[in-house]
Amino acid sequence: MAVYKRNYSAYTGTVTPVATRVLVLARYAFEEAWSSKITVGLFIFCLLPCLVSLVAIYLADNPIARALVGGRGQEMLAIDARFFLKVLQTQAWLALVMASWIAPRLITLDLADNALPILLSHPISRFGYVFGKFIALFTSLSLITWIPCLLLFVYQSYSSPQPWAASNLQIAVGLLAGSVIWIAFLSVLGLALSSWVKWRAVATGVIFAAVFVPAGVGAIVSAVLRTKWGLLLNVPVMMSNLWQRLLGAPEPINGRLSVPTLGIAVMLLLACLVCVGMLSKRIRAREVVRG
Amino acid sequence: MGVIDLDGVEVRLANRTVLSGLTGELNGQAIGLLGPNGAGKSTLINTLLGFHLPSKGKARVFGLDTHKDRAQIRGSIGYMPENDSFIGNMSGVRFVRYMAELSGLPSGVALERAHEALFYVGLGEVRYRKVNTYSLGMKQLVKLAQALAHGPKLLILDEPTNGLDPVARQRMIQLIKDIRKEGSIRLLISSHLLRDIDETCDEVLILKNGRIASLCNIEEERRSNRSFMELETVGATERFSVSIRGLGCECATYPGGRIKLVIPDNIEARDLYVIASEQGVQIRRMNQRRDSLEDIFLRAMDNDQGRTANGSL
Repeated sequence: MAVYKRNYSAYTGTVTPVATRVLVLARYAFEEAWSSKITVGLFIFCLLPCLVSLVAIYLADNPIARALVGGRGQEMLAIDARFFLKVLQTQAWLALVMASWIAPRLITLDLADNALPILLSHPISRFGYVFGKFIALFTSLSLITWIPCLLLFVYQSYSSPQPWAASNLQIAVGLLAGSVIWIAFLSVLGLALSSWVKWRAVATGVIFAAVFVPAGVGAIVSAVLRTKWGLLLNVPVMMSNLWQRLLGAPEPINGRLSVPTLGIAVMLLLACLVCVGMLSKRIRAREVVRG
Repeated sequence: MGVIDLDGVEVRLANRTVLSGLTGELNGQAIGLLGPNGAGKSTLINTLLGFHLPSKGKARVFGLDTHKDRAQIRGSIGYMPENDSFIGNMSGVRFVRYMAELSGLPSGVALERAHEALFYVGLGEVRYRKVNTYSLGMKQLVKLAQALAHGPKLLILDEPTNGLDPVARQRMIQLIKDIRKEGSIRLLISSHLLRDIDETCDEVLILKNGRIASLCNIEEERRSNRSFMELETVGATERFSVSIRGLGCECATYPGGRIKLVIPDNIEARDLYVIASEQGVQIRRMNQRRDSLEDIFLRAMDNDQGRTANGSL
């Protein structure tokens, strides 16, 4: 085949390994997600709290600044697990905003144009397709969660006058694990819900609703049955508990908002399994042209 | 080893048998897949692509099992689905490149081949436009381009002329003929339009109610079938018809000098003209035709017993 000849010729060159085709999907999905100026704007907005935290770390490690703010300010400028918990919580909820914007772009467009029969007629499985999209979303969310959080940790380790990193390694591990669990959950949830909603704007709303509506239901369950197990439907509370424990931050004074870690793990796992089931059902239904 | 081997393939979807007992070896350069709506054409294509697991029997493409080796098969197949299937907010060239990369072409090569494929199918000038701004004919062509870009060994075209106007249809048919002529690609063309298959294929598989109604080489089938002729004559029609019966033709006469003939292979139109001249009969109109694909198709449809009774295999 040649442009100027306009004839057909077979391809006789090398082909890439089948296992790497998922990365092709991921790359195109990533490019699709970031082709929007809104995504770039959101990304910059999501990094603003990190910038504030960076300044806070700088001030906390600056003797002149510490001297200026005095006694109560010293407490405010303490860089410890509680500080990083706040950073992580802020970034995590911003990640929800980002996921609800990006996830529908990755799946809804393919479904709206009925692209699955053509995509899956290539050497890529249903799992490969979803995994490629997952990688793109996970990578995008990583850019605003664990990567800046760990960079802040590294900066604190570097700028702290006392040896700080070794004694606070749990914070780094907690930041990484807490972020990864959250964004993996968000990615699966975002993709699953997007696959069932035709319109992007609606899909964005549905993702938010899926996180916050069960919390309301859980509160009703807790109030009616006078139990705390309704909190297992409350994603914000569950995740706060989990992040707290992972970072080694102090427990909240109000013990009524505490949920066992095992319960949190089981609920997250169940939610992910439901999402995978939804994705599988939807994609299986759309992978072929019925006729 | 055939291009496609079917060995008692049965496919059940939602507790309904969609394909049943398909057995045969398809070897043609261009294989037509014919059948009325709901005959199982698309299901057979999806089975060959590995989307459906046969509940009985085996299907093979180039000797590879359609289920176990589906990744390998999909790598060597170009598939153009029947319905709209594309990524609308991508430009034509990006879409084709994406599909070529998924088939295993390195990124740079995929881009090069995407440009070439788009020029080849006639979309070179609009390759930077988003696919959702294309007309229906362009969308069909971009689907063909993506199916071709990675240089498949088998090109599966599901209703390639669906929704095309006559000019676009002719263009698509010409492209298919060119691809066939090039020789490196085998074609499997599914259609319910006999004319499309007639113009492009050398072998045809006719499905009816999920079974094979006929599997035949079109050219051989045509050769083995009889040639019909209709004449409109002026003059001594009866005497003329007696004379041509003497040549070995089966003949029926109708009022107004019309004669219908079934002529043996060794008789040509010239022989009829010679007799007509000798007897002073004028032949005002002569219409000769061999068995068309339509005849083959209609015979297959009439045969409720399917392939076994059809006897073409």
